[in-house]
Amino acid sequence: MISIQNIEIAFNTPKGKFVAVKDINLEIKKGEIVSIIGHSGCGKSTILNAVSGMVFPTKGKVLLNNKEVKGPGPDRGIVFQNYSLLPWLNVEENIYQAVDAALPSKTKTDKRDLVEKYLRMVNLWDHREKHPKQISGGMKQRTAIARAFAIDPDVLLLDEPFGALDALTKGSLHIELLKMWNLTQRSKTIVMVTHDIEEAIFLSDRIVVMNNGPAATIREIEEVHLPRPRNKKEIVNLEEYKIIRERLLNLLMDKVEIDEEDFYKEKAA
Amino acid sequence: MRRTIALTLSSTRDLFSGSNEAGLMILAKIITLGKGLLFNVLGFGVLVGIWYIVSLITKEALPTPVATFSVFWELVKDPFYDYGPNDKGIGLQLGSSIVRVFSGFLLGAMIAIPMGLLIGASSFCKKMFYPIVQVLKPVSPLAWFPIGLVAFESASKATIFIIFITSLWPTLINTAFGVASLPSDHKNVAKAFGFSRWKYLTKVLLPYSFPHIITGLRLSIGVAWLVIVAGEMLSGGIGIGFFVWDSWNALSLEKVISAILIIGIVGLILDKGFSWLEKKVTYEA
Ligand SMILES: Nc1ncnc2c1ncn2[C@@H]1O[C@H](COP(=O)(O)OP(=O)(O)OP(=O)(O)O)[C@@H](O)[C@H]1O
Ligand SMILES: [Mg+2]
Repeated sequence: MISIQNIEIAFNTPKGKFVAVKDINLEIKKGEIVSIIGHSGCGKSTILNAVSGMVFPTKGKVLLNNKEVKGPGPDRGIVFQNYSLLPWLNVEENIYQAVDAALPSKTKTDKRDLVEKYLRMVNLWDHREKHPKQISGGMKQRTAIARAFAIDPDVLLLDEPFGALDALTKGSLHIELLKMWNLTQRSKTIVMVTHDIEEAIFLSDRIVVMNNGPAATIREIEEVHLPRPRNKKEIVNLEEYKIIRERLLNLLMDKVEIDEEDFYKEKAA
Repeated sequence: MRRTIALTLSSTRDLFSGSNEAGLMILAKIITLGKGLLFNVLGFGVLVGIWYIVSLITKEALPTPVATFSVFWELVKDPFYDYGPNDKGIGLQLGSSIVRVFSGFLLGAMIAIPMGLLIGASSFCKKMFYPIVQVLKPVSPLAWFPIGLVAFESASKATIFIIFITSLWPTLINTAFGVASLPSDHKNVAKAFGFSRWKYLTKVLLPYSFPHIITGLRLSIGVAWLVIVAGEMLSGGIGIGFFVWDSWNALSLEKVISAILIIGIVGLILDKGFSWLEKKVTYEA
């Protein structure tokens, strides 16, 4: 469904060409949930943006349903890392304008109903008249989530969608995400960037672990075979959960351990 | 029984202290306002004092404040009299200047805003038109007056024409700058959700640029108001600029100074009006 074929993404900077990521190969099946995890600045957003069509690979290509991605489109719903709400529109209008643009065939009442449905889903219906300036970071994030979901895309591209949320809200939005995914017969493909290992395991079928940049590559892809539906409290006791968690921690933390060794050496000296 | 009394007592006390607080707030506001006014009066007082001293030193070659204010009062007492083409009240003069400024200004805005949008949004248009703007912008609007005369064969229309030219640049440049500084985040939203051109224009580009456009309009009207006086000195007929020139020819410096005051006050009001509009349309980012 999504096929990332040997892409390299470089940016032109004043200091010359900066290769953010390279040799990225990834096949994502329809209905799969894939997380991308890695240290800050390794190029997670960059890869997601290549799928969304916001940036173009300097080598290789991205295929979506066997067609090369040539730009963004309403078949992919995006939650931007910085929310990207329009500050002059209130919460409701931010979503309505997106729905109105992405689903031109629907009637006005249908579109308004959709907006209401998703605003209620993220618990923002009572705040619908507020402007982005007047709401918290987590509320902005939920608005962005509602906007991406409301256009009912085949592919959801989520860039740290739950990053600014407290554990409780995060938990309930995880459930909402999976609920929606189930309601559509698990046909929606979800690619998500996250820093949260537990979140990645709970939600994903596969977890892509990145190396550090520059010129970051994929370090490893972990498969998560935990049975669905998953229950947050129960899966933490499963042996497989613990193994995956341990492996991810090792992949992401090995640098920290080396630092610690240095620390002890210095002390001994 | 006792308890209820205590309750009512305390609640009435609350009520009193509440109204007291509101009263205090109003009082505080009046005091700060009064203080501000006091400083303003003080500043003008100093100015008038210096003026008075200068007029004494120059043996009243510069008229004294008192003489000027009595002439000023004569002028504003009956602003709308009309004794033929060469003797009209200051209100009529001012009115015709304002009408001219706004005609030229509105015409200018009608051209400048769309041009600014184009130049700001398309690098092709920018490359094509911006050099022209850069060459024409520094030209004193008065230099356009002869061209206006030739084109319209009327001094009054030529004045409107130079106001039109004057009003173009600040609005055009500010609009273009506003459009060009649209953050890529906002553009990305439009791209990601497939906004139509119209939606992009009305829901992204214009709302973002609106404060910049209004700032441009404010600068334009400011310059236009500067230029109208000079323009009407050239064109003659009727208008506050002509009034200044006419008073100078009649050797009435009192009238000239009065006119300067009036020009300043009207300019201030115009500026305040647009500042107010600017605040109104500025969204909170
Ligand atoms: N438009 C750009 N121009 C130049 N360099 C860029 C651009 N966008 C990203 N980069 C660089 O590419 C690298 C990867 O950036 P990216 O935003 O993808 O990181 P990330 O993994 O999403 O980080 P984080 O977890 O902090 O969001 C960074 O070094 C960044 O400086
Ligand atoms: Mg990122």
